[in-house]
Amino acid sequence: MDTNRKSTKRLSTAKDLAKVVAEYYLECHEAKASGKPVGWMPPMNGGIEIFYALGLQPVFPENWSPVCAAFGLTPANFEVSERMGYSRDLCGYLRNIVGYVHGDMNGPSVPLGGLPEPDMVMSFGGGCIPAMKIFQVMETRFPKAKVFRADAPQVAVEDIRDHHVAYAVSEMHRLIDFLEKTTGRKLDYERLKEVVELSDKACLLWDEIMSYRRFKPTPISAAEIGIMFVMVTRQGTQIAVDFLTRVRDEVRERAEAGIGVIEDEKVRLFWDNIPLWYNMGLFNYFEKMGGVMVAETYSAAWSLRLDPNNPIEALAKKSLMSYSLVSCLSIERRKEMVLKACRDFAIDGAVFHQNKSCVPITLGQADIRKALAHELGIPSITIDADHMDSRNFSFAQFQTRADAFMEMLLEKKH
Amino acid sequence: MDPHPAAARFEEAVRLRRRRLEDAASQGRKIIGYFCTYTPVEIIHACGFLPVRIWGGVGRAEKAYSLVPSFICPYMRLSLEGALNGEFSFLTGIVQGYTCDVACGLVNIWKDNFKMDLCHSLPLPYNDNQDARIFLRAGLHELAGKLTQIGKGFTDESLEGSLALYEEIRSILAWIFGRRADRGLHLTSAEVLNIVQAYFVTPPEEYLDMLKGLKDDLASAPVPTDCGIPVLISGSIIEDAQVLTLIEQIGFKVVADDLCTGQRGFTPVAGQGEGPMERLMDRIMKRFPCPSRSHPDERVPRLLDLIRSSRAKGVIFLFQKFCTPHLADHPKVSQALKDAGIPSILIEMDEAGLMEAQVTTRLETFYGMLE
Repeated sequence: MDTNRKSTKRLSTAKDLAKVVAEYYLECHEAKASGKPVGWMPPMNGGIEIFYALGLQPVFPENWSPVCAAFGLTPANFEVSERMGYSRDLCGYLRNIVGYVHGDMNGPSVPLGGLPEPDMVMSFGGGCIPAMKIFQVMETRFPKAKVFRADAPQVAVEDIRDHHVAYAVSEMHRLIDFLEKTTGRKLDYERLKEVVELSDKACLLWDEIMSYRRFKPTPISAAEIGIMFVMVTRQGTQIAVDFLTRVRDEVRERAEAGIGVIEDEKVRLFWDNIPLWYNMGLFNYFEKMGGVMVAETYSAAWSLRLDPNNPIEALAKKSLMSYSLVSCLSIERRKEMVLKACRDFAIDGAVFHQNKSCVPITLGQADIRKALAHELGIPSITIDADHMDSRNFSFAQFQTRADAFMEMLLEKKH
Repeated sequence: MDPHPAAARFEEAVRLRRRRLEDAASQGRKIIGYFCTYTPVEIIHACGFLPVRIWGGVGRAEKAYSLVPSFICPYMRLSLEGALNGEFSFLTGIVQGYTCDVACGLVNIWKDNFKMDLCHSLPLPYNDNQDARIFLRAGLHELAGKLTQIGKGFTDESLEGSLALYEEIRSILAWIFGRRADRGLHLTSAEVLNIVQAYFVTPPEEYLDMLKGLKDDLASAPVPTDCGIPVLISGSIIEDAQVLTLIEQIGFKVVADDLCTGQRGFTPVAGQGEGPMERLMDRIMKRFPCPSRSHPDERVPRLLDLIRSSRAKGVIFLFQKFCTPHLADHPKVSQALKDAGIPSILIEMDEAGLMEAQVTTRLETFYGMLE
């Protein structure tokens, strides 16, 4: 059995991530202790920048789930939620966080002190259904928390029109009104512009870092993807910009020096869907045969531009686009993105994670696979797994498929 | 109970739906498919199209697995299977009001794999306020604009006519559901399902005539004497009448439901407001909520009201396997029922033949509990 494996990271900056993670959770607890309002919210929307601009503390329960997976807490959390009646067919993020908040939330065995209880819950509709349901459960679990029910149009990126943006903008204003009334703080729009500018810088750096994957050998692989932690939790802060700058500098240096993830890179691979958070080592699996997981789709959620001079609209557009870029809202756009990445990064083969815990990303994979084969001649395999629940993953089955795939790709290379 | 003669036309409409729709299409009728009842059929109809709810039917999926994973609901799997077998070649396009993630993904998969003039997903607001209605209105006009490009012109008058037609249909269906709750309906729940399923595939003008005839027959029919343990069925879509027949054979009597192939899909009958667009929007916003679009705290009181008004003694949750919105709400909803002293049971439905024995055993056990 090869589960619960951590990935092998080559970037020293990526190794610093543990410190960044610990500091973030420490900050969350300090905020709670000092009386700074703590709000729980979903990731990939413009709420985070508003929070940081108002000096509030955002906490992301969805992001806590990968932390639980990495620390091996998920089986206990699943046990709690399944005992409550939550079906094993539901998304693992949902089952994990529901179990976590109804279990030993801040007990001594919980790493990083766990999550501080929310003073506010940003409940919402507009992303995937499980994410909406997570926050509905949180509303009930934390009855003292003030609740804001946000809304965002679920629309494909290519179909976004003025009325979608206008509604998202009105929701941003409603959120600001709610936060100002609830916390007694007043939003400084100049500060918001600064925050949005930092967010935009982080996105630019993100794209720049990802672009170094075009180098052969690649200086960065999917095994380092944990760096997206700062895109989820620190967008709009100098912390994210500083960290990503360090990552960019290191990646650039390695690219220019021709230092790859492995010494003899023979096969360049692409990963579709969310990683197996309890087995990030899977990204390194192919390396023994000369395969490197050069790129992945999930990182596309932060490939955005934000206009600091028009901060509310920028955040509204971010809220509209992030989920759409990685979900079945826009299979056409996802297909374009995958094809472009595979062209730009000279990919030899793709691994499609058919993810029982994420239907919105899994739907459309067959169409993307077909397009890869027909338009670029790139072969692919599907592996059946789950980004949170290791019970839905068979390493032996993965190994059989992955080995055969690699043999075929190596044969093709010769 | 013997089959009711007036219900036979509805059964026939369902049985012959494909052939009739193919005939209609070959005679120039343009047909738009949809998956979810949140799709504004009135707009589609007002633009000169026949709106038809795409069916999954009863059977097993095979080809569909080349495009979708096995862990999506059987309705979506089987409807794709049908499409891959050419069952929906009469469609001009698909329009879908955004409800669940799977339906959204399937619209895009259909778009990628089948040639159609229009594939449109309509985002719907989750909140109800002035901005939400402005947004919804713009979305409905955008949809009407797209439909107009491939159909007829859209006017307030054409929408007014479509609204009136659908409101009349819903009001007769509401009357039928009321009779059922009052134990005055001489129909089995399988027959009621056929009546609803016929609505999804029959031109509304024709369907209204069928309904009026049925209402006359039912109004003069004697009050049924047979009874069983009254239950409410809650879930999403039911297409296989067999499960309902099984429920009634065991000894239950379905007196109310919370289904999109039932009361929920037709409640309320109409919306309020000045002008047809306002009334249409008002109804969408005030729908008896589906879990894919609402908080369980909003659903539970309405469900409890329905249970009380129909005097149901228990609830049978009949879920499509892998249905996230219903499964995610179930712990809270079932706990609320328990707190109110109402027993419930959850049955998950997969493709035909996969779970029949388990379903029977569980239902019999539940019957024993309520007896």
